[in-house]
Amino acid sequence: MKVPEKYYDEIFVFDGQWGQPSACGLKIVDKKENIIVVVTELYQDNPGTSVTSAGFNLAKQICEKKGLDFSKIIYLECTPDTNSVLSFYNEQYFEVTLNKHQQPQYRKVLKEELEKMIL
Amino acid sequence: MIFKLIYPKWSKLPGQTTFNLPPHGPVVFAATIPKEVTVKFTDENVETINFDDPCDFVGISMMLSTQVKRGWEVADTYRKLGKKVIFGGISTMLHAEETMQHSDAVFLGETEGRMEEVFNDFRNNTLKKIYNFMGKHPAIELVGPARRDLYNKDLYNHKGVQMVDLFHASRGCRFSCYPCAVSYLGGRMFRPRPMDKVVEELAAIENNRLFIVDNSLAQNDEWEIQLFKEMIPLKKKWISHTIEDNPKILNLAAQAGAWYVYQAVYDTSDYIKERVQRYHDYGIGVEGTILLGLDNQNEDDIKRLIDFLLKIDLDLAEFTVMTPFPHTKAYDDMLRENRIFDTDWNHYNAGQVVFHPKQMTADKLQELYDYAWKTFYADETQESKMMRLFTKVVLREMEDGTYRSRNRNLVNKSFGKDVSRFKDLKIQ
Repeated sequence: MKVPEKYYDEIFVFDGQWGQPSACGLKIVDKKENIIVVVTELYQDNPGTSVTSAGFNLAKQICEKKGLDFSKIIYLECTPDTNSVLSFYNEQYFEVTLNKHQQPQYRKVLKEELEKMIL
Repeated sequence: MIFKLIYPKWSKLPGQTTFNLPPHGPVVFAATIPKEVTVKFTDENVETINFDDPCDFVGISMMLSTQVKRGWEVADTYRKLGKKVIFGGISTMLHAEETMQHSDAVFLGETEGRMEEVFNDFRNNTLKKIYNFMGKHPAIELVGPARRDLYNKDLYNHKGVQMVDLFHASRGCRFSCYPCAVSYLGGRMFRPRPMDKVVEELAAIENNRLFIVDNSLAQNDEWEIQLFKEMIPLKKKWISHTIEDNPKILNLAAQAGAWYVYQAVYDTSDYIKERVQRYHDYGIGVEGTILLGLDNQNEDDIKRLIDFLLKIDLDLAEFTVMTPFPHTKAYDDMLRENRIFDTDWNHYNAGQVVFHPKQMTADKLQELYDYAWKTFYADETQESKMMRLFTKVVLREMEDGTYRSRNRNLVNKSFGKDVSRFKDLKIQ
């Protein structure tokens, strides 16, 4: 279940839950009015915490390392299509509203909207 | 110093035959405790905790999500009595934040080579709130042998028949399956124990019947071949998870004493049918494990799957409902889609629906789960099918001279409780 490289521009290594070394795919798209950050779950190539479990902590680490303003990013989580025969490894995007003190809020982003956001 | 080690009880699934196996995690952990510490073990599933028993320090080992709430209650009681409590084990790792609210310390990760520090801290009254070794695996050479001497063996006996002993030959799993948290807990790198240590520990286990609890034996062909070759002279009989689908390996597994395997049945393909047949060709029984409620299943799919199971000559079947355990892809997916409606961990027993399935209602899935158990065992009960498998192993033991008759002193006992030998038993 290798994640195709089309989903990311770089592999971002981060401290996962309890400090576990973890990795995700990362794509940052500068749209002037805001910055779109897309984190992609790497499954077998992520040795630690999933992007969903890492949530706020991952977004914060990306902003710190990439010099981004947390309040101005649109944060998307991607579960990529891994060409698995199992249907639950299909491509999906969610916009995530993150807050240190609250549960994240997820909104599914459909393909047409995604294309407008990141193309 | 006396260290009281507790394995909390959990509610067993209604309507199913319950067998209490000696838990493996606590005795593997106990082997890592400094030698000068006296360990007293209580498995609350088969005996009552005596909170008045003298002890200095309390450890609670938890494997299942359905154990955590009881584990927290036990800890709260001990802490009111002034005892310090440390938690460890798989479900401590899955539920660490909540567990920290009921503990003086939690240990995350594997304990080999690390308990001197914990006990020194306890003695010096400098116990840390968290010992975090997640992802930092100790040298695999340090593992074992498990402290099976801590078990009260008579409590794991049903009408004179001793339950299997548990054993593991490796850690980690190269697979990362959708509903499984093993890759989070033990890492994705397969870590086999040194073969000489595996054989030494196996040979020292008095029980001739084992459950090899490794996540899957099909991790590495060469290792699997070597393991089975080394096991042949030991003449043990064993249960395990999947074995590699390779004639040479299956043949060696059979020679090494493979009794029956747990094999996932996830569709109605000829591959599955032939896979089951290939195990049987080598005299290895098959207990199908069937997960219901996956996103790609509708009501008809599940009914077709159950019909299929009746045609492929499974020895046993175990049905579970999809359960989004923390730190699995299933959990992440359902969390994002807001499909988890029940977060009471007592209900995370894989028999109770706690999420909204994609292609049916939660109630319908619950109904299909009950239907699956009833339909599969309609013509022959689970106990009867188990007895057939049991008879097969007895015959093999008689052939190779390893058979031991049941313990006559315990024929009227089941897991420590009095029973009539001639009546059906419902155990909780």
